[in-house]
Amino acid sequence: MSMLASYLTLAAVLFCIGLYGVLTKRNAIIVLLSIELMLNAANLNLVAFSKYGVVPSLTGQVFSLFAMTLAAAEAAVGVAVLIALYRRRATVNVDEFDELRR
Amino acid sequence: MLNFNIDFTGEFFAFFLLAVCAIVGAVLAVNFTKVVHMALSLAFTFVSLAGLYVVLQAEFVAFVQVLLYVGAVTILMIFGIMMTKHQSEGQERGRPLLETLAAIGCLCLFGILFYAIRSAGFAKPDVPLPDNNTLSIGKLLYSTYAIPFELVSVLLTVAFIGAVALAKREEDQP
Amino acid sequence: MATVFSQYAWLVPAFPLAAFAILTAFGRGWSRAGAWIATLASLASFALSLIIAIERIVSNAEDYVGGFDWLRAGAVNLTAGYEVTNLTALMLVVVTLVAFLVNLYSLGYMGEDERMTVFFSYVALFTSSMLGLVLADNLMILYVCWELVGVCSFLLIGFWYRKPEARAAAKKAFIVTRVGDLGLLIAILLLFWYMPDHALDFASLHNVFHTQSGIISTSITTLIALLIFVGAVGKSGQFPLHVWLPDAMEGPTPISALIHAATMVAAGVFLVVRTFDIFQASQAALDTVAIVGAFTALFAATIGLAQNDIKRVLAYSTVSQLGYMMLALGVGSTTAAMFHLFTHAFFKALLFLGAGSVIHAIHTQDIREMGGLGSRMKATAWTFGIGVLALSGIPPLSGFWSKDAILSAALEKSPWLFAVGVLTAFFTALYMARLFFLVFTGKARGDAATYARAKDAPWTMTIPLIVLAALAVVSGFVQTPMSGWLGSWLWSGEAKEHAEGVAIVASVAASLLGIYLGWLIYAKGTIRRDAVSSRLPWLVKLLERKYYIDELYELLFVRSLRGLGKALAVFDDVVVDGAVKLAGGAVAGLGRLNTRLQNGQVQTYGLVAVIATVVLVLAIAGRRFW
Repeated sequence: MSMLASYLTLAAVLFCIGLYGVLTKRNAIIVLLSIELMLNAANLNLVAFSKYGVVPSLTGQVFSLFAMTLAAAEAAVGVAVLIALYRRRATVNVDEFDELRR
Repeated sequence: MLNFNIDFTGEFFAFFLLAVCAIVGAVLAVNFTKVVHMALSLAFTFVSLAGLYVVLQAEFVAFVQVLLYVGAVTILMIFGIMMTKHQSEGQERGRPLLETLAAIGCLCLFGILFYAIRSAGFAKPDVPLPDNNTLSIGKLLYSTYAIPFELVSVLLTVAFIGAVALAKREEDQP
Repeated sequence: MATVFSQYAWLVPAFPLAAFAILTAFGRGWSRAGAWIATLASLASFALSLIIAIERIVSNAEDYVGGFDWLRAGAVNLTAGYEVTNLTALMLVVVTLVAFLVNLYSLGYMGEDERMTVFFSYVALFTSSMLGLVLADNLMILYVCWELVGVCSFLLIGFWYRKPEARAAAKKAFIVTRVGDLGLLIAILLLFWYMPDHALDFASLHNVFHTQSGIISTSITTLIALLIFVGAVGKSGQFPLHVWLPDAMEGPTPISALIHAATMVAAGVFLVVRTFDIFQASQAALDTVAIVGAFTALFAATIGLAQNDIKRVLAYSTVSQLGYMMLALGVGSTTAAMFHLFTHAFFKALLFLGAGSVIHAIHTQDIREMGGLGSRMKATAWTFGIGVLALSGIPPLSGFWSKDAILSAALEKSPWLFAVGVLTAFFTALYMARLFFLVFTGKARGDAATYARAKDAPWTMTIPLIVLAALAVVSGFVQTPMSGWLGSWLWSGEAKEHAEGVAIVASVAASLLGIYLGWLIYAKGTIRRDAVSSRLPWLVKLLERKYYIDELYELLFVRSLRGLGKALAVFDDVVVDGAVKLAGGAVAGLGRLNTRLQNGQVQTYGLVAVIATVVLVLAIAGRRFW
């Protein structure tokens, strides 16, 4: 088992834990946090491949920088949407937002 | 398939420690009852990941990770928690079917990924990374990846304006 | 020598069939006109049959076969055709004559019935099917017409369907004959299997079985013959499938005359005669036929002694006489059987129509309530008397000649069968004498007012009686021991039958003794009527209840089949309906499940996406494992 495989396995673990949090948690903030966790796991993959990949280069790290930026922007917008929703419905429980049903 | 030939180097030891921290933080994050505890344990995970980046000789990325995630995203989430009324205790009524199925799904997904990782053959690289990480990244950003860099800045502006517009309190119409 | 008219034989069943079509399509509200159309059609058939028969008598004609290819499937070639031989020409005349006379009679008997047109249409369909059966040149067409005749019998027995007894009798007739038909069907299938070229026409049957070429083994031949005989047993009311015939008397009396005396029940005898080559190839089958026939003859005669319904006495008499015909066939004499069929058709139809006249006048069928009608209904009494004498076998009436032919043939083969035949002749004479004396002589026992109104029937009902009476007298002379014309005409010159003196003496003695005894008991009163019933009441009860055969069948077959039917109904309800409901319920349940999935929550949708991805990956990538 090479080092790369260890890093990838760790990333897979973190990803799955984050996925579980997204699917299960009732508070919307925690859902957003779990999404951040999943993105982090992907970043770890990128950086691991940048060092241990077939052709090691800095491309992976640059890509992970971009990903991080995007994740931050998305978190900001997400929280803004959540606040707007909260003003309307006075709740942050995800299972009370079910207008898609009709 | 499961051939355990691990060479116990110092790097591996450091990796193992930090990995345990990261996983513990993540698991605690989904198991705490209070929301603020969840956010803080997740911050702990982010820090361990930054440590892992250092082990991977990606110092700049580690620095940015701490800055962005621990500094910005976690604080943002805590702001969000503070501004919305939340049940600080977890709800008593669970959704057992959903949780069970989600656990099964995630476990299966992990199994698939693990199997894929194990059966892939990775070649041993022999080209080392450049020494000065920040300088090299800076050079790359402004030469090869200049256009994505500019686009990202546009995107950040748009996101910022959008967030403000969304979260603005509506003014009373006369 | 070729014939001119035989090729038009297909018209003979076509006329009544056309009448049936016209009456069914347009008959509503026609009443008398429809009846006359049917009668004229049957007259036309009779005229044509007579012409064909006369031509065949006058010129020594060869057999004519016509028809067309019906089905062709590989090596199998089924034809639909008609065959005009001397035998079928004879049957044509008998059937069409009796049909015409019954049509004429029904104009009067069914005159006030509101469904008269329907009645005549059914009778026309029956006549057409019976003629088709007679003319059929292969077993398939014969079977089709056989079933059609059964259907018409069902329709006509249950004609007054508002009466529950009529409905029950119609069902019983159909079901019991169905048991026989099954035997016939299996026989046809076996023949289809074993015959070279899968040929089912009578010419091929004659070729294969007559020359005993050994193509078909003896055991199979016996099996086929016995199965054909089962069909005949059903249709001709032999033991043990005789139970439907007496109940069939619920139908109108002209039907009893036409179907259950003269024609349909003779179809069984006709079938055996047509396929007689198969029977002759198997001695076991012939013996079975003889024994069943003899037993039925005696059995039915004893039951007839104790019946009180005029039509039922005649019904059991029919069963008994058919037993005689089967006995004749069993001892190998087709001539005697056909001769008796020929004469029996006339005098039995006569007796039934006469009974119908009586019922029409008195409005009851129980002979215990009749009496002394001879003075009020002269024509009916005279013709009925001639019928009684003919049936009892008194010379020189027709019944004597034909019964004597049978008894002579029986004596040649087996003294036991002969003894049974003579005993049956004695009983026949006894119960017919009882019937005649109780109905037409003595004092009136019924309602006096009805008796005073009783008179002879209108001319449409009396003319057929007279015609049939005349035929009952003279038709016997076609085959006497002195000149066996009928036998040689039917079988183109095969061995002549000859009579035994012993047989003649014995049968005449038995008949005279029976009539004398009947006169003593029922007319003169010398022997008291309850002489037997007071000493042996159980015997009379046994005969009256028809040896409890109906009760036995009810216990053995009806109850168990009804139970099976109930079990199957439960199975149908639970299993079959349950499966259908399960299909519907499963879909509805699946729908309800899907409703829970579409609850508008993003986490649910996300979960579905994750599980779907996992399943897809497992399915596609997992194929390498198996």
